[in-house]
Amino acid sequence: MAIFRPEDEARVRELFAELERPVELLVAHGPEQMPQHGARDIDFGAETERVVRELAELSPSVSVRVEEEPDGFERYPAVAVLPDGQDVGVRYYGLPWGYELGSLIGAVLEAGRAASSLSPETIERLAALERDVAIDVFVTPT
Amino acid sequence: MLLAYKLAFASPRVRAAGIESSAFPALADRMEVYAVPRIVVDGVPQWDGAVPERVFVDRVLTPSFE
Repeated sequence: MAIFRPEDEARVRELFAELERPVELLVAHGPEQMPQHGARDIDFGAETERVVRELAELSPSVSVRVEEEPDGFERYPAVAVLPDGQDVGVRYYGLPWGYELGSLIGAVLEAGRAASSLSPETIERLAALERDVAIDVFVTPT
Repeated sequence: MLLAYKLAFASPRVRAAGIESSAFPALADRMEVYAVPRIVVDGVPQWDGAVPERVFVDRVLTPSFE
């Protein structure tokens, strides 16, 4: 089953055509936790890889790498979004499906920008940051 | 989630993870995820729900409530 309807696929192609630098999607496989009741029939790792590969087919600027338990991942499956092949600490843990596929597309678009889309005020505040900050955003796929 | 990602892309000091709760129920339980998005900073749950960029940055850079 294709992950996009034809009209959505065309829209994502259009958006990806504006990428200003290459973006690599690193799919990390490894031991998975017992999923919630009712979700046990889904192979989260295989599905994640399938979704990411389909996404990457929509632009020559987006590439995929698949690794088993690479360094820097806390759980599996995971997808790292690497602007220009560099790991800057952006991860998605779990299957990027439904609304969260949109978040992953948004991450690819931001990674492919030469300049951040954040406000100048935010950029200024980030530049003044003197400690490391780890942000986890818990979501559900619906 | 996209705001968190944007911050990570823009600063080497920030890392950001989106976590799909149903794939990691034990972790989601530990972080008491009942509503989403639930934002956790440095391992401490901070708030639920989408907020504008300025508010997000305020809260993330000066985490002060649990």
